[in-house]
Amino acid sequence: MSRFFNSLRDGVGFDLILVGAALLFLLALAGLPLVYNVLMSFQQVDMFTLGTLIRPWAGFSNYVAVVQQPEFWLVTKNTLIFVFASMGGQFILGFALAIFFAQKFPGASTIRGLFLVSWVMPGLVVGAIWSWILAGDFGVLNTVLKAVGLIDGTVFWKSDPAFSIWAVVIANIWLGLAFNMLLLSVGLAAIPRDLYEAAELDGANAFQRFWTITLPMMRSTIGAVLSLGLIGTLQQFDLFPAITEGGPANTSTVAGYWSWQMSFQLYDFAKGATISVMMFLLVLFASIIYVRSTRHEVRG
Amino acid sequence: MKLKHLGLLAGVAIGAMSMAAPAMAQVTLKIWSIDGNDRVGIADTFSKEFDEANEDIVVEYRIVPFDDLVNETLRAFATGNAPDIVSFDNPDFALFSSRGAMLDITDRIAASEVIKAENYFEGPLNSVTWDGKYFGIPKYTDTIGIFYNKDLFAKAGITEPPKTWAEFAEYAEKLTDPANNVYGATFSARAGEEGTFQFLPIIQEAGGNYDNVNVDGAVEVLDLWKKIVDNGWASKDVLSLGQWDSTGTFNSGNAAMAISGPWEIDRMVSDAKFDWGVALLPTITDGGTRSSALGGFDWGIMSTTKHPDEAFRALEYFAAQDHRIFEEFGNIPARSDIELPVTGIALKDEALKVFQEQLQFAQPRGPHPEWQKISKAIYDAMQQALTGQISAKDALDQAQATIKGIVG
Repeated sequence: MSRFFNSLRDGVGFDLILVGAALLFLLALAGLPLVYNVLMSFQQVDMFTLGTLIRPWAGFSNYVAVVQQPEFWLVTKNTLIFVFASMGGQFILGFALAIFFAQKFPGASTIRGLFLVSWVMPGLVVGAIWSWILAGDFGVLNTVLKAVGLIDGTVFWKSDPAFSIWAVVIANIWLGLAFNMLLLSVGLAAIPRDLYEAAELDGANAFQRFWTITLPMMRSTIGAVLSLGLIGTLQQFDLFPAITEGGPANTSTVAGYWSWQMSFQLYDFAKGATISVMMFLLVLFASIIYVRSTRHEVRG
Repeated sequence: MKLKHLGLLAGVAIGAMSMAAPAMAQVTLKIWSIDGNDRVGIADTFSKEFDEANEDIVVEYRIVPFDDLVNETLRAFATGNAPDIVSFDNPDFALFSSRGAMLDITDRIAASEVIKAENYFEGPLNSVTWDGKYFGIPKYTDTIGIFYNKDLFAKAGITEPPKTWAEFAEYAEKLTDPANNVYGATFSARAGEEGTFQFLPIIQEAGGNYDNVNVDGAVEVLDLWKKIVDNGWASKDVLSLGQWDSTGTFNSGNAAMAISGPWEIDRMVSDAKFDWGVALLPTITDGGTRSSALGGFDWGIMSTTKHPDEAFRALEYFAAQDHRIFEEFGNIPARSDIELPVTGIALKDEALKVFQEQLQFAQPRGPHPEWQKISKAIYDAMQQALTGQISAKDALDQAQATIKGIVG
C-alpha cells in the first residue's frame, strides 16, 4: 500500500496523475462538445429540441442531405481554394519577410515588430477595412491598380463570382502573414550561424545554403506553421460576414461559414453539425502532419 | 410639536404603503426586444411607461441584439426561461407561432376594446396569423418603393417615374452617365434577407408567391435586372450592398434611382443635395398587379407565460400608443386608422404619402416556419441569374424545386 502512495509521490503513479489530469481536461473541454457534435449530425435536430440530448435517430441522412445540396461541390471547391491559397500566400510571403528581416539592417527588428499590428486586429475589423478597400466603385485597391495601369475598368472584387473568393483570400493572407512571419523568424534564429559560415567557406552560394541548410533545419517549424495555418484558415469566420457574406450566389461560401449559416441563419442545426464533422476530418489530417513533423524534430 | 406629529404620521403612512405594496400580488413580465440599444426605441419606452402606470405589474425589459434575437429566444424557450412578451421581425414570427411557442390571442382580440383586427393593414396582420388564428399584433411596418432624383430625371428629359419594370430598365440606361460616375439605378440584390425583400415583390406581381417562384413575369424582370447590371446601368456591387449602403450612393448623387424604404427618409433629407421623390414600385405590365415587400416587427406573447392576462394588458397598452410611434420614433404604424401627422418638411411628407399608399400592397414574407431556407433559395436564385451562372429561368426553376422540398 505504501508503495502505491510512494509511486504517486514520485514514480509511475505521479506521471499517470499528471497525464490523467491533462486527459480529463481535454475530454471535458474538447472531447464532450466534439462527441455532442458528432451525435447531433446523426440525429434529427429541430430548433425546439435543441436543448435535449435524446432525439430521433437520422442515420446518415444528414450527410446525404448535405452532399445533395446544390451548393455542396461549389463550397468544397471554395474551401480548397481558400485554404490552400491562403496558406500558400501566408507561408511564402511570411517566409520571404522572415528571411528579409533576418538580414542585419537598421530598424529590422522594429519594423518586424510593427507587422504584429495585423495579427492583434480582430477579424471583423480587418474584414470591414478590406471590405472598403475591395469595394468596386470607390475602393482603394481599384484606384491603386488603375493608377499603376494594371487594370482599365473596375474590378468588382466582392460581387464578381470570379473574384469573390479571392477577395477573402487576399484579406486572410494579410491577416495571417504576421503570425507566419513570426514563427518562421523564430525558426530562422535557431539555426546556428556557424553552419552558414562553414558552407560559405566550402563555396556554397545563397541558394544552395537556403536549400541545404535553412530548409532542412526549419523542417519542424515549417510543418508546425503549415498545420497551424490549415487549422487557422479552416477556422476563419469573421472575414466572410464582413466582406462577402458568402455571395454572390455562394461563390465565396466555405465550409466553416456554411456550417454557421446552416445552424444560425437557417436553424438547421443537424446539417450545421454534419458540415463541421466533415471539416473535423480535414483538421484531423492536419493534426497528424503536425504531430509527425514535431516527432522528426532535429535534436542537438 | 404639531410638525413633529405630522412627520410621525407621514412616516407611519409611508410605512403602511410600503407594507401594502408587496401585499398586492405583483406580477413580473419579461419583455424582450431589440429597441433601446443605441437610441430610445418603442419597446423600451412603452415597457417603462407600462411598468410605471401599473402598481401590480413589474416589467423586466431586456435588449437583445437583432442578430441574436431568434437564437436567444429559441434557447430560452427550450430551457423554459422564455420571456412573456417578445417582438420579432415579421418573417421570423411564423417560426414560433406555427410551433406553439406563441400564445393564441384570437379570443382576447375579439373581446378587446383597444385592439381591433380590422384596424391593421392586411399584410402585417397576416404575418401574425397562423392557421387562421392570431398569435400577436403588428408593432410597426415599412415597405419599399423607388426613390428618384428629379434633377437627373429633368436633365435626361424624363418627366415621370417608371411605371413598369421595362421602363425602369429603359430609364436606367438613359440616366447612366459614366463620365460623372452616375449609375441609372441601384438596389440591393445581396445574399441575404434584403435580397429576398427586394425581389419577392416582383414574383408576387407576376402572380407567384414564395411557394411558386418560377413564374414567367419574374423570369422576365430578373432578365431585365441582369441586363441592367451587365450593361453597367447599375453597379455590380448591388450584389453585395445592403439597402442602406446602396441608397447611400443615391444620396451622394451617384445613382439616379434607388429601391428602398422609409427608413432612408431622414438621412436623405439631410444628405441629398437635390430634389427627389418617391414612386410606387413598378409593375410588370402597365396597370398590372401591384405588390411590395413588408418590413417591420410584431409583438407576441409566448405560450409559456404564467400571466397571459397581464401580458395581454401590456399589448393593449402598446397598441394604444400606436399613434405616437411615427412622431417619436419615426416608424410607421401598421394601422389604417391612424393618420400620420404632417412634419412640415415637404419632401418627407410627400414621400410618406407614397409609402402609405404602397403599404396597402405590401405582402408579408411567408408566413412559413422555415422561412429562412425559403428565403435563401430565392436570393441564391436571384444571385445565380444576375451573375450569369445559369439563366433566370433555370435559377428560378431550381429555387422552385428547393422550395417545394421545404414546403412540401
